[in-house]
Amino acid sequence: MSQRLGFDRVTKVFEGSGNDADFVAFDDITLEAAPSEFLAVVGPSGCGKSTLLRMAAGLTDPTRGKVVLDGKPVREPPPGVIYLFQQYAKSLFAWRTVIDNVMFPVEGAPRARRGELRAQCRDYLRQVGLDGFEDKYPWQLSGGMQQRVAIARALAADPQVLLLDEPFSAVDALTRMELQTLMLQLWERRKFTAILVTHDVEEAIFLADRVAVLGARPTSLKEVIDVGLPRPRDQLTTREDPRFLKLRHHITASLLARNDGHVASA
Amino acid sequence: MSAMDGLAGVREKRSSRRSGPNGMDRRAYGFLLLAVLLSFWELSSRAGWIVSAYWPPVSHIFAAAIAQLAGGEILLALASTLRRAAIGYIAASVAGIVLGIVLARNRVLRYGLLPLIEIVRPMPTPAVIPPLILFLGVDDALKIFIVALASFFPIFSNTFTGVAAIDDTLIQTARTFRTSTVRLLARVVFPATLPAIAAGLRTATSLCLVVAVLSEMIAGSSGIGYYLVETQYAMRPDLMYAAVLYLAATGYALNRIFLALEARMVPWMGRS
Ligand SMILES: Nc1ncnc2c1ncn2[C@@H]1O[C@H](COP(=O)(O)OP(=O)(O)O)[C@@H](O)[C@H]1O
Ligand SMILES: [Mg+2]
Repeated sequence: MSQRLGFDRVTKVFEGSGNDADFVAFDDITLEAAPSEFLAVVGPSGCGKSTLLRMAAGLTDPTRGKVVLDGKPVREPPPGVIYLFQQYAKSLFAWRTVIDNVMFPVEGAPRARRGELRAQCRDYLRQVGLDGFEDKYPWQLSGGMQQRVAIARALAADPQVLLLDEPFSAVDALTRMELQTLMLQLWERRKFTAILVTHDVEEAIFLADRVAVLGARPTSLKEVIDVGLPRPRDQLTTREDPRFLKLRHHITASLLARNDGHVASA
Repeated sequence: MSAMDGLAGVREKRSSRRSGPNGMDRRAYGFLLLAVLLSFWELSSRAGWIVSAYWPPVSHIFAAAIAQLAGGEILLALASTLRRAAIGYIAASVAGIVLGIVLARNRVLRYGLLPLIEIVRPMPTPAVIPPLILFLGVDDALKIFIVALASFFPIFSNTFTGVAAIDDTLIQTARTFRTSTVRLLARVVFPATLPAIAAGLRTATSLCLVVAVLSEMIAGSSGIGYYLVETQYAMRPDLMYAAVLYLAATGYALNRIFLALEARMVPWMGRS
C-alpha cells in the first residue's frame, strides 16, 4: 500500500559559516503527493530540489515546518521511502556484484528467507532488463545499466514512496527515454507514490500526474499544474500531443519568467 | 604519503603486470641492469679497484649465502624476525583500521584522540626505543611494540582519509535503506575504504620488516638485525652482505605476495 507524503509549510535555511550570510534554500513550501500519485517538481539547477527530496527521505530536517508521511512527521529515514540518486555510480556498492547490490536492502531478513529473496531480486533485475548481468560488477556496466541496477535495488526495498532526484539526467537522450518508459511501467505495476524532481520540463510532463513549478529565490512554490494526459504514455504520441506542447509552453514560460525577474532584481 | 599516492603506485604496478610481453621486456631490462652492477662489483673487488676487507667479491657473498642456508641459522634468524614483524603488523592493522574508521565517523572520539595520535606520529621510531626499553625490557615485547607502533600510522592515516573521502551519496543510500550504524560501518564504510586500507597496509608491509630489523640491531639477541650486528663485529662482511641479500629477497617476496592478495581482495580498486 502506497503512502501520502506532504510538505507542510517547509522552510530550509543553511546557516552561513563565518561571514557568509544564512542562505534560505526555500521558503514556506506546502505540497502533497497523494498515495500512488506521480508528482513532478521542476526548477532550475541549484534551486533546492535535492534538498527538498532529502528532507522527504529524512536525511535532513527542515528548518521550519514539517514533512508528513501518512500523518506522521518524518524525522529519520522512514521505512519504504526510497531515494534514487542522480549520481547512480556513486550510489552503487562498487565491491558488490549486481545481484548483491540489489540484495542490500533485504539482507537484514532471516537467513531462512534468503533463497526466496534472492529469487525475488533476480526477478527485479529481469524487470529492469538486466537478465544475465547478475554477477557483473557495476563498473562493468554502462551508465544507463547502472541506473537500472539502482532502480532494481529500490524495488527490492519495497518502496511505498519513491523519490527520484533527476535520476535520468546523467545518461544520453535515448537511454533517458528508455528509462522513463521503464519507470512508468514499474510505477503502474507497483503503484508506489513517486516524487520526481527535475529541471527537464518535458520529462516532468511526460511522467507525472501533476507538475509543481518552483518560483523565484528564495525558492517558493509558484504553481501546481494538472497534466491530465492519458496513460499509458508513449514517447512518441504523448510528446506530440497538442496538450503536451501546450503544457510545455506554459511551464517553460513560467520558469523563464522566474529567471527574468531574478536578473531584473539583481 | 596520502592514500592517493599509494593507489597510483598500485595502479602503475597493475598495468605493467597486465601488459604481457611489454612487461616482460621491462622486467628483463631491470634484471640486466642488476647483472651489470653486480658484475662491476665483482670486477672492482677482483681487479683490485677497491681494496678493502669489507668489499668481498659478489661471488664470495653468494657462496656465503648458500653456506648460511645449509647451516640453517640464517633461516632461524629470518623466522624470528618475521615472527616479530608479523605479530606487530597484525596488531597495528587491527588497531589502525578500527581506529581509522571509528575516528573518521565519530566526532567526539575524533576530537578526543586525534591530537594524541598527531603528537606521537612524527616521533622517529628509533628515538622511542631507548625510553621504551625502560618499560618493556629488551625482549620480544619491546620489538613487537615498536613494529606495531611504526606500522600503525600508515594504516591508520590511510584508513582515516579513506573513510573521509567516501562519497556522501553512498552513506545516504545506505541510510535510506535504514541500515544500522554497525552494519553501515561493517558492510558499507569498511568495504568502501578497502582500497585506501590496502594502500596503508602495503606501506606497513615493508615498514614492519625494516623496523623489526632495526629494533633487533639496537636491542637484540636473535633475528636478522642481531645477526647483522654480530657478523659485523666478527669482521665477516661476506656473511653480513649475504644476510642483507636474504632480507632484500624477503622484502621483495612480501611485497609480491601482498600485491597478489590485494588483486584478489580488492578487484574493484580504482574502478568506480
Ligand atoms: N549542506 C548545505 N549547506 C549549505 N548550502 C547547501 C547545502 N546543501 C545545498 N546547499 C545549497 O542549496 C542550494 C540548493 O541545492 P540543491 O538542493 O542541491 O539544488 P538542486 O538539486 O536543485 O540543484 C544550492 O545553492 C546549494 O549550494
Ligand atoms: Mg540536485
